Amino acid sequence: MSEHGNPKEHLRHVVKHVAHFLPAQGPIGVFIHHNTLHAFQHLPFEKAVLEASNLFQTEPYMTEVEYRDALSRSRIRAEDIDAVLAREADAEIVPGLQRRNLWRAMLTPGVRAFDAAGTAWRMEEGDLAEDFRSPSLRALFHACLALTEAVQSVRPPAGRAADEVVHPWLIRLCSVFLDQGMSYWPMPGREEGFYLAVRKLLSQPGALYPQGLSGVGEEFRRQIVREDSAEDVVMAFLGLDQNNWEPRLREELLALPGWPGLFSQLENDPALFPHDPVPCSLADFLAVRLTLVKVALENGECAAPPPAADPEAERIARAAALYDAARLAKLTAAIVDAWTPQRWSRFVVEVESFDSLERRRVYHLAYERWHEQQILLGLASNRRENPPTNRRLRPLAQVFFCIDEREESIRRALEEVDPLVETFSAAGFFGVAVEYKGIDDARGVSLCPVVVKPQHAIRELATAEDAWLQEQRLFRRRLLARLSRTIQVGSRSLVRGALSTAVLGTLTAVPLITRVLAPRQYGKLRDILNRAFLPVPRTELTLMRDDESSQDKVEGLLLGFSHTEKADRVASVLVPAGLTQGFSRLVVILGHGSTSLNNPHESAYDCGACGGRRGGPNARLFAMMANRPPIRAELATRGIVIPDDTWFIGGDHDTCSDHITLFDLEAVPPTHTDALNTLRVSFDMARARNAHERSRRFESCPPNATPEAALRHVEERSEHLAQPRQECGHATNAVCFVGRREVTRGLFLDRRSFLVSYDPNGDPADENLARLMGAVVPVCGGINLEYYFSRVDNERYGCGSKLPHNVTGLIGVMNGQASDLRTGLPLQMVEIHEPVRILFVVETTPERLEQVILGNPIVKEFVVNRWIRIATMDPDTGRIQIRRDAGYEDLQGELPTLPTAPSSIAWYQGKMDHLPMARIQSAANGGNR
Amino acid sequence: MTPLQLILLGVVLAPGAVFALFSLLWLLGWDAPERALTRTTAIVYSVATAAVAWMAWAMHMAGLESIAVPLGDWFTVHDYHFPLVLLADRLSLPFLALTVILVGLIGQFSATYLHRDPGFARFYILLHLFAFGALLIFSAGSFDLIIGGWEMVGLTSVLLISFFHYRLGPVEGALHVFTIYRACDIGLITAAFALHHYAHTASFVNGMPQVSSGDATVIGLLLLLSAAGKSAQVPFSGWLPRAMEGPTPSSAIFYGAISVHAGAYLLLRAQPILAESSIASGAVVLVGLMTALHGTIVGRTSADAKTSLAYAALAQVGVVFMEIGFGWTWVPVMHIIGHAMVRTLQFLRAPSMLRDYHQVHAAAGGQVEKTGKHLESMFPPGVQLWLYRLAMDRGHLDTILERGFVQPLLALSGLLARLDRMGLGAGGPRPEQTRSHRWLISRFR
Repeated sequence: MSEHGNPKEHLRHVVKHVAHFLPAQGPIGVFIHHNTLHAFQHLPFEKAVLEASNLFQTEPYMTEVEYRDALSRSRIRAEDIDAVLAREADAEIVPGLQRRNLWRAMLTPGVRAFDAAGTAWRMEEGDLAEDFRSPSLRALFHACLALTEAVQSVRPPAGRAADEVVHPWLIRLCSVFLDQGMSYWPMPGREEGFYLAVRKLLSQPGALYPQGLSGVGEEFRRQIVREDSAEDVVMAFLGLDQNNWEPRLREELLALPGWPGLFSQLENDPALFPHDPVPCSLADFLAVRLTLVKVALENGECAAPPPAADPEAERIARAAALYDAARLAKLTAAIVDAWTPQRWSRFVVEVESFDSLERRRVYHLAYERWHEQQILLGLASNRRENPPTNRRLRPLAQVFFCIDEREESIRRALEEVDPLVETFSAAGFFGVAVEYKGIDDARGVSLCPVVVKPQHAIRELATAEDAWLQEQRLFRRRLLARLSRTIQVGSRSLVRGALSTAVLGTLTAVPLITRVLAPRQYGKLRDILNRAFLPVPRTELTLMRDDESSQDKVEGLLLGFSHTEKADRVASVLVPAGLTQGFSRLVVILGHGSTSLNNPHESAYDCGACGGRRGGPNARLFAMMANRPPIRAELATRGIVIPDDTWFIGGDHDTCSDHITLFDLEAVPPTHTDALNTLRVSFDMARARNAHERSRRFESCPPNATPEAALRHVEERSEHLAQPRQECGHATNAVCFVGRREVTRGLFLDRRSFLVSYDPNGDPADENLARLMGAVVPVCGGINLEYYFSRVDNERYGCGSKLPHNVTGLIGVMNGQASDLRTGLPLQMVEIHEPVRILFVVETTPERLEQVILGNPIVKEFVVNRWIRIATMDPDTGRIQIRRDAGYEDLQGELPTLPTAPSSIAWYQGKMDHLPMARIQSAANGGNR
Repeated sequence: MTPLQLILLGVVLAPGAVFALFSLLWLLGWDAPERALTRTTAIVYSVATAAVAWMAWAMHMAGLESIAVPLGDWFTVHDYHFPLVLLADRLSLPFLALTVILVGLIGQFSATYLHRDPGFARFYILLHLFAFGALLIFSAGSFDLIIGGWEMVGLTSVLLISFFHYRLGPVEGALHVFTIYRACDIGLITAAFALHHYAHTASFVNGMPQVSSGDATVIGLLLLLSAAGKSAQVPFSGWLPRAMEGPTPSSAIFYGAISVHAGAYLLLRAQPILAESSIASGAVVLVGLMTALHGTIVGRTSADAKTSLAYAALAQVGVVFMEIGFGWTWVPVMHIIGHAMVRTLQFLRAPSMLRDYHQVHAAAGGQVEKTGKHLESMFPPGVQLWLYRLAMDRGHLDTILERGFVQPLLALSGLLARLDRMGLGAGGPRPEQTRSHRWLISRFR
């Protein structure tokens, strides 16, 4: 019976399809932000979140309580709800009652939730009893109760008792199979794949299995005799009815989604394995899982369905919900009693179809509208008051940051400290997609967005005169590695462990006590010792590939860039940003990354545009390329004239400790030393201010701390073993502005806005915009949506609190000792996040933007399905238009006068919450162009 | 009371007093600010550390072997009495010091780690109760008093495992641990009874009570049962990985440092009794040996940070048991202290294992020495697989307990329940069907 052709083919097809529903997160060492509901991205947002919520048993939005709370503190205003309702279809339910009015009443002040268990009690002693003091309400309730019919409520499905027996085994098997070096004794036979290794292991005689799994050995032995492949096992379990395969497989996989999700990721891209690749396949996982489940079911591990609720109690709860809606709609017992049965049932359908999910959808849209109004009206007002002006002076320096919203504050701080500094931003890999291997790295890693495959390899090598230092460094690092490994392994082994703990163990008190009581000082001490012991050679990057003959291939990659390629890379950053002339004497390119301890999610704080890694090497490489005279000559032919007295410097900003490292300073011409020193002083002041602004969110930093104290505070965070919130990461991100800095300069955007430098005037064919949007929409949209979902359902879309996390196999985290792999973001990263879809504001016209959107299928999907919100700002007039389904709509509402503050500190000092936009005078009066 | 006695009393009672105060205020509805809890903790344990240090120094200078603080009798019946007496001697002092230092450190660590967690106050309150219990164990002058501390440590341990009680895993784990603890506590309680019976006292302030060799065997084995349960020795080891559901700092102090060594302390205390009986000390060595082997082989196959540390700790505690069984005293004490320090730090750094390994890997140029290729490969392949599976299933210990003990017990209780119903007349009215019940319900409608 093969209605779908070859059953094996069909199985592969089904498995591949079902795999889409699994979490798409690779080994945790490299954390790549992506839309948690990527599998649903072809659907409109509101539909997708509901479907996913049904499938995964997750929350699509925040809880009603949270929206009500937002309502009570005017984070949602009545006018926001009205504006959202105005876009919904209206209808007359019964004469005198419009749908919109009913919905509005059910939203604000809002209906209460009733369940079968609690309603009777609430009628006697709770809020309903309070209501009943009013005779009219009591009458209304009884009128509703009399009309309400009992409904057959949907029973929750019986629990999966087999899972309780199967999962502990399955989890342990998965973790030892995928282990990248945590356990001392690797799983025997794992190079043959999961299914074969497990089959061999569990079919050995002489084991004692728990009751629920007894007979698993025989089952695997039968499979050996039959010479089953993994697919045979899966098909045997699924039976002949192929239509049933997909739901069965989906149910089995979603009962424990994290582990098979990782199998699937590693099957698709074995390069994700950090150290020891093993052959991975989802079919293997399924074969093992289904064999165990089969045995457990045969042993009678089935759960009884949950007991039925009392139908009368359910009817009362239903009546109470209807009563509550009727009460809010200002209906009375007399009106309700006078209705015909048809009217009553129309009312019931209307109330019950505006259920909690629907209400939360409307609440959410209103919640987002408030934000949209705040941002767009603020931007429009600022644009009107402070139109972009032409630059008067040559800036002291120009600094490129990453578009990352966390860099917004340090850019502003730098502009405040030195108004003569001009800042730009570009995606943090700065156009150089490379496979990079530093002097301390074991192998090369891709430093570019994940969607890009680097074609070029860059190696960091010690300079010729420092080669001996590098030799020494290498040797000593090996020595340290061996020592550290011996201690790590030895302290966990029996004999070596006994000797070392008994004899030397007490000495551990010293690091234990210092690390807990004085983490920052410990970090400093460690750095001093490192510097004393490990010499640091000067290095250079192998970026040369000036002639054809040197096209040495390294693992299929080109070593370094040719002239044209270099010029392309440099131009790809400078041109869209509009920096083609008027270069200052110093141009600094700052990549970023984040350093923290005891943090399996460390990579999630790194640069998203560098594939969850640090962008420092890219910045350094960019600067080196831009400094080469032949490249400048090539660039000059393309209209980018870099004066001879302009010098590029690469650097790295640590978003956790707020350290700024500048590279290759010995190469800076002596003529630029003074300017460099001035700039470094400004950097130091800016990073202290940045630390201070970040610290306003930290309860543990005293609110009256000086910037210097705040800098020490964030340094300590980065070194603290116990710190679960090393930094706030991308939390609170909500906006992405694509346009000239002059439009946003001087605005306090509260570290919530990605900023992409884009000069609409230098882009007649919209090529630059298309390239920028193609890169930033998936990156920023992915980050934003991952935060959204991890925030609205932290336990299921996110990975819950970090505190019980336990690193497993060096590839992920579990809760405790035997849980599913936890994917998504931890509670500590998202707790202050406001879940709104990111609002793009692009400096262009609707016609131009629409062309760009339709020209890129990925961007189109994001925009058309409303996974992001988008608006345009006219480059000449500043007119703002918002993209709706029906077309572009002018921004409504009165332009506010933005509050002003002399400095950022004056605006945020002493406040912990999200802050509205404001004009910061000291940052605004720069030498803008 | 001399100053030294007062200090000892103060050190032991201070955490108890803090516990009582904060839990009372909590019950009264006071939502203690984090700072109040952490500051108090910091002050109490830094003062306590200084006090213990001074006590040790003063005792050393005065040449005192021990100090005892008699607190009167709990109750007296004829010549039968339960004296409450605290004792600080050369055995208890290192443990007292270890406890106050580590609890202080964990308190400091958790101030940051648990910041903003809804269970913050609960954690600190339980930490103080734990410290009180542990100090009571280590300063008790009689086995009766040890029981008191023993139960407090057990209870806080269970409550902290279920710290994240809104999830199923932690609660199930906690219940498992609770069951094992309670079952094994029978040993300590019965041993105390036995001592009262044989020697008419369970106090060891004036030296360990003298018992005959046969009685020593009984008491020694009972104490071993209790110690093995608390220290997760074979065959009870299965609870230890389940205890990893709690927050990391509590895993560190309980299962890396103090609670897991409490069993060893009990046996160290009872060493004079064990010395009387070669059977009992042989059993201690045997249990220790089995645990050491069990811990090391299971630890070798554990792929997650906390379990692998838990079994590494277990192996060392097994070695400590062996050392105690051999009749040594100072070796196990040194071993315990060193081991507690190492393991605490390792537990606290457990999330760093990822980064540590990557660094070692990079520094070694991508060539990390492969492990598990020497000893393991000496066995024939079939045995290797068998052994690997044995290790992966943690020695099948849970299955052995489940099938050999829990299920027969459940079957027996089911049988008894049936007999019970038969005896009382099957088919009788259930309580909610009786007239009195209906009357009661109608009264409150």
